[in-house]
Amino acid sequence: MSLPKPVMRGMLAKRLRFHLPIAFALAFGAAVMFKYTVTEPRKRAYAEFYKQYDSVKEFNAMREAGIFESVRPSGE
Amino acid sequence: MAHPSQLGFQDAASPLMEELLHFHDHALMIVFLISTMVLYIIVAMVTAKFTDKLVLDSQEIEIIWTLLPAIILILIALPSLRILYLMDEINDPHLTIKALGHQWYWSYEYTDYEDLGFDSYMIPTQDLTPGQFRLLEADHRMVIPVESPIRVLISAEDVLHSWAIPALGVKVDAVPGRLNQTTFIVNRPGVFYGQCSEICGANHSFMPIVVEAVPLEHFENWTSLMIEDA
Repeated sequence: MSLPKPVMRGMLAKRLRFHLPIAFALAFGAAVMFKYTVTEPRKRAYAEFYKQYDSVKEFNAMREAGIFESVRPSGE
Repeated sequence: MAHPSQLGFQDAASPLMEELLHFHDHALMIVFLISTMVLYIIVAMVTAKFTDKLVLDSQEIEIIWTLLPAIILILIALPSLRILYLMDEINDPHLTIKALGHQWYWSYEYTDYEDLGFDSYMIPTQDLTPGQFRLLEADHRMVIPVESPIRVLISAEDVLHSWAIPALGVKVDAVPGRLNQTTFIVNRPGVFYGQCSEICGANHSFMPIVVEAVPLEHFENWTSLMIEDA
């Protein structure tokens, strides 16, 4: 009854063949996740904000709220 | 201005600051990519049961870990240089303002208009009215027209200061004996805050910058009033 011959060589290469693709995949996945959960939503948020932005309306709202010192609310 | 428990940048109010925000997202994405890879490799190394004592070199991995960082650096440098050159684009400012740093206040001179200049001191905490922001409010704000290119010439009268407004992506050192120039456009009306960004003595933290962006006709009314009052 003889024991099966143990693996004698190539263990590092085998480990690298297993782990490196996972490392690259995880890293790439993290980057893609960041891109689609942070980068793209932020770009879209700014584009949407300025698409509908009415600076006169916003200015008047801020003016009436008394935010500005150079321009007082229209009642004053 | 900043809000409580804020992690990222303030909302951009100028096109340049928007570009900087997107570039930061791009660079941070690359940081996460590298960090995830390094963390995984560290865990894999620490949990390894065997060590190969006979590995002396490996041409393949040397090539990989030279080329890959070079490519990553190029991917960071290209958008970065794009923004750098964007900052230096020739634009035609509608207005030039001088901002001078003193210990411990800013003074603004609108020399396009005869004799319009004023000092801007921080409002002390005990003099704030409800709704005003501690350590950020100033008695006289720098008022500018919205959606117009503005040139600001920055210098100092005594020691180093720095004129900074995060929402506009502006930070320029105020150096005595030197004139530094920056140009920006404010996209939307509002009030934007900044603080002195170069240590300048005891009250360095107490000389804020407040910029008020209003439509052109209101800006011109304001300048007329200020000149009359002077």
